[in-house]
Amino acid sequence: MVSLIRTVRNMQRVGLREWWRQMQYIGDAKSGRLVGQDQFGNKYFENLNPEEEIPGRHRWVDYSQHFYHASQVPPEWHSWLQHIRQNPPAEDPVMQASSPSWKAPWVENLTGTRGAYRPYNTTTPKVQAWDPKTAPRS
Amino acid sequence: MSFARPRVFAGLQHRLVLAPRSSVTRSQLLAYRLLSTSSNRHAQHVQKPELTSDLTNRTPHRHGVSTPQYDPQGNEIDPYKGGPSAIDKAVHIFFFTEIIRGMWIVLENFFRPPYTIMYPFEKGPLSPRFRGEHALRRYPSGEERCIACKLCEAICPAQAITIESEARVDGSRKTTRYDIDMTKCIYCGFCQEACPVDAIVETQNQEFSTETREELLYNKEKLLANGDRAEAEIAANLYSEHVYR
Repeated sequence: MVSLIRTVRNMQRVGLREWWRQMQYIGDAKSGRLVGQDQFGNKYFENLNPEEEIPGRHRWVDYSQHFYHASQVPPEWHSWLQHIRQNPPAEDPVMQASSPSWKAPWVENLTGTRGAYRPYNTTTPKVQAWDPKTAPRS
Repeated sequence: MSFARPRVFAGLQHRLVLAPRSSVTRSQLLAYRLLSTSSNRHAQHVQKPELTSDLTNRTPHRHGVSTPQYDPQGNEIDPYKGGPSAIDKAVHIFFFTEIIRGMWIVLENFFRPPYTIMYPFEKGPLSPRFRGEHALRRYPSGEERCIACKLCEAICPAQAITIESEARVDGSRKTTRYDIDMTKCIYCGFCQEACPVDAIVETQNQEFSTETREELLYNKEKLLANGDRAEAEIAANLYSEHVYR
């Protein structure tokens, strides 16, 4: 039981439907300010009131996919979610300035799928097999 | 706990006491036969220079033997005078008050909001210096930074980095092979400290666990792809740390 008053209060705030979704995923009733949404549809929330959320649990993500994984958070939001940066990436001038034009789209950890990384050699082979060539006889 | 030990000792003593009471020849026979088990009653003491360890002088007193303390008037001091009585101790033991006190703390926390961080929805704080998955960075122009100086390969304590290089057509020296064996890597961060051009960095990504071992043998393309994806985060972290570097 997680502090019945807190559960009831958060359930009143977010509504029964959202509360049921939270119980299926986070497993705890939480309510807070919607800070933003990334390109994958993951929603990021924040509740800075220490009476309502224990400090350390005040930032959380609501994954858009059912099969959620921690690596589905793109790196810009990852540094906000893990308290590395104070501001979300949309309001962070440093994060905005340090995004180059050639930045590649974020890909989650694809291990266990067909898209998983497989190591390969990036150099040309150092030993060439002898390829016999016979001069044509005239 | 301590009930079994005296009984065992008594059983052994019974045999030891019986042996000397038998006749002389039998005892000699026994002594001859059971030389290994009999005590060294018949052993001749050989006069040798005494080998002393001086251990007894150096240790203040033996375990379990307390020397009595005396006050200046010569009266013996009772060290347990101000302590709890035997009845007090018995009450705490028989009513298991310590367990009840511990259970009360559990009950208090039962009604408090939980401290558990619900990973992966909530994550704990991380330092901008956190050393996670490796990445190779590029210059803002898109040119790769690594100049194949092999300082990271030299300093790597786990020898996880393998570099091969060649000169390009424009004369710049670049790597053709930059392999990091992530199963060897100990995430010490020496490579990113040794790098003169901030090419190899350790990102904040820690969720790169794999199903197979071979997926952790990173090559240059994988490392460059890591850097291309996380460049904004890497650059922001380096910017926040630039005053300390």
